[in-house]
Amino acid sequence: MSDEKKVVIQTDDLTRVYQIGGTTLHALRGVNLAVYEGDFLALMGASGSGKSTLLSLLGLLDRATSGKYFLEGVDVSSLTRNQLADIRGRRIGFVFQNFNLLPRFSAWENVALPLAYRRGELDVDTQRKLAMNSLSRVGLDLRAGHQPMELSGGERQRVAIARALVSHPAVILADEPTGNLDSATGREIMNLLKELHAEGKTIIMVTHDLSIARHASRICTMRDGILTEGEPTYVAS
Amino acid sequence: MSLRDLLRTAWRGVSTNTLRAVLTMLGIIIGVASVIAMLALGNGARAAVDARFRSLGSNQVQIGGTMTFDDGEFTQAGEILSYEDGLLMPDGVELVGSVDMSLGGSGKARFGRVTVDTPISGVTANALERVLSSGEVQPVNRSEDEAFTVDDFLAGGRFFSSSEVLDGASVCVLSWETANDLFGGDDPVGQTIWVNRGRCEVIGVIAELEMVNESQRYYANPNLGVYMPISTVIDLLYEDEPSVFITAYVTDESRMDEAKAQIREFLRERHSIEPDADGEYADDFNLTTRSDVLGQQQEAANTFSVLLAAMAIVSLVVGGIGIMNVMLVSVTERTREVGVRMAVGARSVDIVLQFLLEAVLISIGGGALGVVVGILSIPLAASLNQGMALLEPGSIPLALFVSVIVGVLFGIYPAVRAARLDPIEALRYE
Repeated sequence: MSDEKKVVIQTDDLTRVYQIGGTTLHALRGVNLAVYEGDFLALMGASGSGKSTLLSLLGLLDRATSGKYFLEGVDVSSLTRNQLADIRGRRIGFVFQNFNLLPRFSAWENVALPLAYRRGELDVDTQRKLAMNSLSRVGLDLRAGHQPMELSGGERQRVAIARALVSHPAVILADEPTGNLDSATGREIMNLLKELHAEGKTIIMVTHDLSIARHASRICTMRDGILTEGEPTYVAS
Repeated sequence: MSLRDLLRTAWRGVSTNTLRAVLTMLGIIIGVASVIAMLALGNGARAAVDARFRSLGSNQVQIGGTMTFDDGEFTQAGEILSYEDGLLMPDGVELVGSVDMSLGGSGKARFGRVTVDTPISGVTANALERVLSSGEVQPVNRSEDEAFTVDDFLAGGRFFSSSEVLDGASVCVLSWETANDLFGGDDPVGQTIWVNRGRCEVIGVIAELEMVNESQRYYANPNLGVYMPISTVIDLLYEDEPSVFITAYVTDESRMDEAKAQIREFLRERHSIEPDADGEYADDFNLTTRSDVLGQQQEAANTFSVLLAAMAIVSLVVGGIGIMNVMLVSVTERTREVGVRMAVGARSVDIVLQFLLEAVLISIGGGALGVVVGILSIPLAASLNQGMALLEPGSIPLALFVSVIVGVLFGIYPAVRAARLDPIEALRYE
């Protein structure tokens, strides 16, 4: 662990157990992970390996059954629902496989959404200005007034990335960001993520595609609820 | 989220499916409109009763004959309430100081070649004072704040005297329009006209009058008719002696119940009414005082209120359930949206407020449309209720307030359900 690099995410023995009917499902069996500022981490694993569960925990959408999770040095396991929502809005940017933009809201309104949920800090003009900055970062400032229906898949994902960037989060969590895109558009999105990484952004990306994962600076693999550093061994490289 | 953002979001939600929102409003629209219309009916009825009984002083007992419905027509039950009953009442009843009597009818009045059909009122000598004191009419083009005397109500001549009433004198006083119809602008005083088959001398003309209440001016004309002594009218218009209408003036206002008992006893004796086996009297007359009227009015108003409340509650509950249903559908449809909002930092209260505001927008929209529909339906309601419907101004804020309450009450459950969604499940929802 290098001293000059700031730890953004650190988990100690994180577990997540689901009770479904009478069966007990151990989705995470003691995950220890440290993510440093500027990391571009690809999280790989087969479906059911627990990578989505881990991403939900890291994104504060879910709580661990046991273990500790420090986000920027803060132990988040004891925070209230509302405090978690507040941290999600300010410190975490989500990018989803299916974009998850609000229909009937223009691109800039979608990008401004995390700002709108900050308690009375930003007026609409400021929200719009910050959203426009973020949109121009992904090259879509000219499409700011368009609704998601009027945008291509790649454009939608770039709007979603702009939304993730708008609050200058500590970490961007991307769940299969190219999963719904053709390979050419997927490459565009990966190039954009690499650019962001080059600018110093911290990114954690879930993918099952090794060729996508190799764009990242670091790869971890989940298997049966256990996280290991490195590419999955069962995939021929 | 700021209120402005919340409102914009809620509005976006409602306007996305305008037809659905308007259909959902229908229950609220009907509920609120009926509340407005019904309150207007109640208000109008109350105003009409007030106007009709304003002339009934607190020391007066109105006495009328009882009618029964027999073989398809109304007939007098028992003995008539006779002119003689009235004449003898002040002497026969300790607490009654004086009486007025009146008798309404219609007939033909003729002067020269001109004949008009006209109402004919048989009255006693102070009838004009009673019209004056009722405060319902006033001479035209005068301010309603003025204090009028009997002379202000006369355009010429005089009203008949008590002795002329007792003697059955052949005299009459004409209303303004009737005088003009018969005499075409000439002075009628001193002329002799025919009323049905009897002659009478015109001794006075009443000034042109108008209703004090402007809304009543369209359907009430106080300027038609011939006033004659009641005894003269009985002789002139009727073959059999008719029932009259008596107003008894009680000398001591604090003993109205006692006075009514005395009048009852007096009339039972004159009409030979004996108690039946149960000690009940089958009276052929009835007595009305101001407190009786107020009591009945109160009772009617209360019955009306209960009906109205029941109708309002039913339609508003139905409307509210409609809103709840649509909001539940809306929450389900937008599960993913809820997940996204939670992921980008929405707290539970933000989600609750968003959906609650949407429900309230629908209900208040329904309330506003309901107010409009209600106001537009007042003339219709009035035509079904003898012109008695008057917008109750307080019903508008009341209706809007109630519709907001309905929106909150029925919107809270879907909103809370949305806020309780698990963000992970919501984001995965297809």
